[in-house]
Amino acid sequence: MEDIYAELLHKTAMGDQLAFKKLYEQASPKLMSVCLRLMKTEALAEDVLQEGFIKIWDKADTYTPGKGKAMTWMSTVIRNKGLDKLRSLKTKPSETEIEYEGIEFASTELKPDDLEDMSQDIQGLMVCLNKLKPDQKECILLSYYYGHTHQELADKLGKPLGTIKAWIRRGLEDLRPCMN
Amino acid sequence: MHELKSTPKRYQNPEVFELLAMEYAVGSLQGRARQRFEVLMDTHFYLRATVDAYEAKFANLVELLPEKQPSNQVWNNIEAHIKESSASAAKGTSLEEEKTPWWQMNFFKQGFGLAAMALIISAVLVYNPMTDHNPNAVASYSAVMESDNNGETIAVTKIQKSDMKLTIDIMKPMAIADGMELTLWCHPRAGGKPMKMGTISKSGKTELNISEQEWKDLQNVGQLAVSVEKKGNSNITSPSEKIILKGQLSSAL
Repeated sequence: MEDIYAELLHKTAMGDQLAFKKLYEQASPKLMSVCLRLMKTEALAEDVLQEGFIKIWDKADTYTPGKGKAMTWMSTVIRNKGLDKLRSLKTKPSETEIEYEGIEFASTELKPDDLEDMSQDIQGLMVCLNKLKPDQKECILLSYYYGHTHQELADKLGKPLGTIKAWIRRGLEDLRPCMN
Repeated sequence: MHELKSTPKRYQNPEVFELLAMEYAVGSLQGRARQRFEVLMDTHFYLRATVDAYEAKFANLVELLPEKQPSNQVWNNIEAHIKESSASAAKGTSLEEEKTPWWQMNFFKQGFGLAAMALIISAVLVYNPMTDHNPNAVASYSAVMESDNNGETIAVTKIQKSDMKLTIDIMKPMAIADGMELTLWCHPRAGGKPMKMGTISKSGKTELNISEQEWKDLQNVGQLAVSVEKKGNSNITSPSEKIILKGQLSSAL
């Protein structure tokens, strides 16, 4: 699949502000979704999205195709901004909108039409994740999408902390050979 | 979870650091453990390179998310920030206006002398963030080298402008036949003849000096590769034997 964002990112790196605006228009709805799940409230999510895109503008020249697709690079920049922000907050936002709690969108029961729209990279990753035990997969996805700590996962899933740590560690150990 | 307080040598064990890198990339490594790992990433480039590789792989998960339109205010704030930066650093022009060539600016029409012009150009070159977008601003390159057989991480390569050295660290010793040696290659993205970087050790670190021309050519390189070659076969200009390791080259400021 052609990387539609890479060319815009390349132009952004050359200081082309129109290309950057187009990049924002096309990529921000997906990246806003990343921010919402991490930050829980729209206000904080928009703060992170804004700071993240300013970093993308500043650092666009450090992106190379060797770092993966442009969208994966941008989502890593944005997500790390979100994790930094969460770390800087003394307490996580308690106000959580219910629609940003589950992982139904990453369900294993995706329709063939959905799969057709997906890149080979995500299809491959889903194959690897679907080989894990359901609990391991759930913990890893909740960590990724929501930035939950081990303790938060233990509270959320009603399991002992040690169990959560073991699920994640073993899940990642099982994922490693498949992802490589 | 693997504790980070134990001996630093543990970070040189791929079994340990790769799992920590995965935990970092997933986000389950948090709090002080995450901070300590970030400190280690600053000093051990192979940790950073491994994290980068896993972050790129896990970031594909974003594809599954439903889209959510942010409010217009977000772009307005970003645009205002860029304009402000542009005004203070002469980085660019308005999004809606045609860019005005610098030589047509009123400033230059008012008859300032050459000395003033040279001073301004020097200042812009030094302070203008546009210089950050210059490929010459790249400070280092790195690549995680994986086995061509099973994709296992075997080595990490870093090339630094500061000392003009290429360092390759083979973390899992390679078993190669007597009379054979390992050779490192840089393959251009556009194809064509690879750059032969030199012979490397089958275990531990090897440092190779690189020339100015090689540093310049690295901006066109897409992939590094290690081949097994007959010892003393120094005349080869491309891999003549089996490629056993491969890795994508990434740049960093």
